[in-house]
Amino acid sequence: MSSEPLLTVEGVVKRFGGMRALDGVGFTLEPGEILGLVGPNGSGKTTLINVISGVYRPEAGSVHFRGRNVAGMPAHRLARLGINRTFQVPRPFKEMTVRDNVRVAAVFGGGDRLDPDAVLERTGLAALAAREAGTLNTSQQKQLDLARALATDPRLLLVDEIGAGLNPEELGAMADRLLKLQEEGIALLVVEHLLDFLNRITPRVIVLSAGRGIFEGSLSDAAQDPQVVEAFIGG
Amino acid sequence: MGLLEYALIGGVLYGLFFALVGVGLNLIFGVMRMINLAHGDLIMLGAFGAYWVFHLWGLSPLFGIPLEVVGFIVVGMPLYYLVVPRLLHTRDPEMLSFILFFGLSQVIEASAVLGFGNNQRSVPTSTLGRGAVNILGQSFPPAWVVAAGVSVAAILALYAYLYHSRFGYATRAVMASREEALTAGINVHRISAVAFVAGFCLAGLAGVFAPYMLGAIDPNMGVDLTTVSFAIVVIGSLGDPLGTVIGGLVYGIAIMLMQTYLPSWSNLLPYFLLIVIVLIKPSGLLGRTVRHA
Amino acid sequence: MRRPGVLQGGAVLALLALGFGLVPLFYGNQSLLFSMMAYVALAQGLNVAYGFTGYLPFGYVGFFGAGAYGTALAITFLHWPAVPAVLGGGVLALIFGVVLAPLLRLSGAYFAIANLAASQVLYYVVANPNLTSVTQGPYGIKLTSVFAPNLSYAVLWVILLLATGAAVYLRTSRLGLALRAINQDPVSAEMAGVNLVRGRMVAWLLSALVAGLVGGVYGWHVSVFYPQSVFTLRISIFAIVFVLFGGAGTVIGPVVGAVLLYGLYDVIGISTPEYFQLIYGALIVGLVLFLPEGLASLARRRGWDVL
Repeated sequence: MSSEPLLTVEGVVKRFGGMRALDGVGFTLEPGEILGLVGPNGSGKTTLINVISGVYRPEAGSVHFRGRNVAGMPAHRLARLGINRTFQVPRPFKEMTVRDNVRVAAVFGGGDRLDPDAVLERTGLAALAAREAGTLNTSQQKQLDLARALATDPRLLLVDEIGAGLNPEELGAMADRLLKLQEEGIALLVVEHLLDFLNRITPRVIVLSAGRGIFEGSLSDAAQDPQVVEAFIGG
Repeated sequence: MGLLEYALIGGVLYGLFFALVGVGLNLIFGVMRMINLAHGDLIMLGAFGAYWVFHLWGLSPLFGIPLEVVGFIVVGMPLYYLVVPRLLHTRDPEMLSFILFFGLSQVIEASAVLGFGNNQRSVPTSTLGRGAVNILGQSFPPAWVVAAGVSVAAILALYAYLYHSRFGYATRAVMASREEALTAGINVHRISAVAFVAGFCLAGLAGVFAPYMLGAIDPNMGVDLTTVSFAIVVIGSLGDPLGTVIGGLVYGIAIMLMQTYLPSWSNLLPYFLLIVIVLIKPSGLLGRTVRHA
Repeated sequence: MRRPGVLQGGAVLALLALGFGLVPLFYGNQSLLFSMMAYVALAQGLNVAYGFTGYLPFGYVGFFGAGAYGTALAITFLHWPAVPAVLGGGVLALIFGVVLAPLLRLSGAYFAIANLAASQVLYYVVANPNLTSVTQGPYGIKLTSVFAPNLSYAVLWVILLLATGAAVYLRTSRLGLALRAINQDPVSAEMAGVNLVRGRMVAWLLSALVAGLVGGVYGWHVSVFYPQSVFTLRISIFAIVFVLFGGAGTVIGPVVGAVLLYGLYDVIGISTPEYFQLIYGALIVGLVLFLPEGLASLARRRGWDVL
C-alpha cells in the first residue's frame, strides 16, 4: 500500500463566462476512503465532480490521480484509468436493456474485467436485467447509474446526490451499499444534501462555498464552524 | 470603378431583400427552436401568388400581399396546432420537426409542380415602376428599391412588435427561455402560434418580391432559398430576428461582388459561407445562441 | 447474447443475395434492379450514419458523387481497370468524409444543413467550367471504354452484401453497442468508457465509404453521366425517406423501405415524379407524427425482436 493519496486536487479554477464556479479548490483523498462534499446550492459541488470526471477542463489547478495529473483528460480515458461517477439526475441508455447498459460500461470502461451479470447482482438489479432502462423508476435508475459506474472497475467513485428522492428504507440500503464499496477498496467522494445519510457513511467532509473550500473535518465540527453556518444560512 | 460601386450599392439593396427572406426562418427558430425546412417553399408560394395576381387579374403583384397574409393565417394557424404540440412531446423534437417540415416542403413542391407546371415564370419589372432609380450615381430598377424599402419596413415593424408591444415582450421572453416564460404565466402556445404564422407571412412577403430580385421563379426554387436563408440567419445570429439584417447585407454584398468579379463561382457562395460560419462561429456575427453536439 | 441477431442478419443477407442474384435471370429490366440495389445499399449506408450516430446527412449524395467522379478520374487519368477504380472512388468519398468530420461537432439540424451545403459545394466545384480539363465540368463524363453492364451489376451485388454485412456487424457487435449508447446519451456513454469521437468517426466514414462505392459502380455501370445526376438532392432525399419509412437503426428497415418505395417510384414516379414526391412528402409528415420509428417499430410493438 503506497503512502501516496489516491486523489490530490489542488488550486482548481473553473470559469463560466465571467463567473468563477470553482475558485481554487483543493483536498486529498486516500485509497478506500469516503469523503463527503457539502455546500449550499451553487457552491460548485457538481462543477467539481464534473472537473474530476472529465466533463469540464479547469482553467487552472491540477487533479492528480494515482500520481498522474488527469485534469482536462476526456471522460472516457478517465473511466479506463479508474475514475467514475453517478449523475444527479440519472442518465440511463433508455432504449437499451439494463444488462446492456452495464455491458457497455464493463466492455469499454472496465476493459472486460468484470462480468455485467455479477455487477447487476452486486447492485441488486439482477431481476431487472432484461427490462428496458427507460421503464425503471428513479430509485432503480440511480442503482443502474451506480452499477454502470461500478462495471468500469473504478478505484475512485464520485457520487452526486444519490440520496435525493429515496425513501428511508432505500436510503439505508444505499448507505450499506456504499460502505460495502469502501470495503472493496473503492474510494468515494460523496456530494450530499442529506446530512443524516452522509453521517452514516463518513466521518470526514469538505464544505464548499462560492467555489472555495471553507472547512474540512467532521460533520459535527462543521456544524459549529461560524464560516460554515454563515455560508448555509447567509446564502 | 463603376462596377464596384454598382456591386456594393446593389449588394445593399439585394441584401436588404435577403434579410426579409431570412427573417421569417429566424423568427420561427427563435421562438420555437424549430427549423422550418419548408421556408423556401413558402417563399415560392408567395412568388407564385404575386405572379397569378398579375397574370389572372391584371393587378399589381403588390395586391398579392394581403391575399397571402390572409392565406397563410388561415392555413398556418391550424397547421401549428395540429403539428407542433405533438412534436414537442417526441423523443427528439429538433430532428423530428426538421424532418417533418422537410416532408411538408416536399408536399408543397409537388403540389406546386402539379398545379403550376415545371416552367419558369417571370413578372415584368415595370409592374413596380418604370425607368430607373439613381442612387449615388448608379442606376437600379425601381423594383429593387421598392423591395428593399418594404424589407426595411417589415423589419422595423418586427422590431416595433418585439420591443414596443406587450405581445412582443412576451415573445422575447419565450425566445430567451421557454420554461421560464411558462412559469411566468405566459401563454407560450399562443405566442408560438403567432410567431409561426408571422414567419409564414414574412416568407410570403419576401416571395412577392422574389420575381423581381431573382429574375425567374419556378416551383423548385424552394430548396436553394431555404439553404440561403439558413446561411443568412446563421451569419447574423440564429434566434435573433433583427440580426438577420447583418446576415442579409453580408450575403447580398458578397454575392454581388462574386457575380461581378468571379461569376462562374458565385453559385457556391451561400453554401461555402454557411459551412465556414457554422464551423468557425456558429453563434453568428452577433453571437447569441450557441449550439453544441 | 445477440445470437438471434446474427441469424436474422444471415437471413437478410441470404435474401438479398438470392433475390438480386436470381431475379435478373428471368426479369429483363436490369436497370430497375440495378437502381433498386443501389438504393438498398445507399439506404443501408445512410442508416449507418443516422441510425447509429443520430446525424442525418442531408448531403449524403456528396459521397455518391465523389465516388462516381473518383472512379471516373481513376479510369481516365490513371488508366486503372474498372474494379480498382471503383475502390478508388470509395477512397475519395472517404477522404471527403474526413474533410467533413469537423461537422460532427454540430448539433443535429445544423449538421444536416451544413452537410447539404457541403455536397452542393462539391457539386459546383466539379461542375465548374473552369475545371473542365479535370472533371469535364458541366459536359459530363464518358467512360465508354469500360462499359460492362453485367459485370458492374455483379460488383454492385457484392457491394450491397458487404454493406448489409457491415450493418449486421454493427448491430450485433460491441462497436454497435457503443454507438447505440452514444446515440442514447453521449455524456454517460463517455463516462462508461466509450470514445465518442472515434465511435462517431467510424460510423460516419463507413457510411461515406458505402455511398462512395455505390457511386463509383453507378458511374461505371451507366458510363455516361453529368454532374447533376450524381449530385442531385433527390438521391439524398430518397435514401432518407427509405430509411425513415423502413425504420432507422435496424438492418431490415432500409431494405424494406428501399424495396417498397423504390418499387412504388418505378411504377408511378418515373413518368410523373411529382406524384411520388407528393406521396413521400405526406408519408414523411405522417411518419413523424404517428410512426417516427418507421415500419420496423410496428414489428417491435408486436414483440418481434427486429434486427
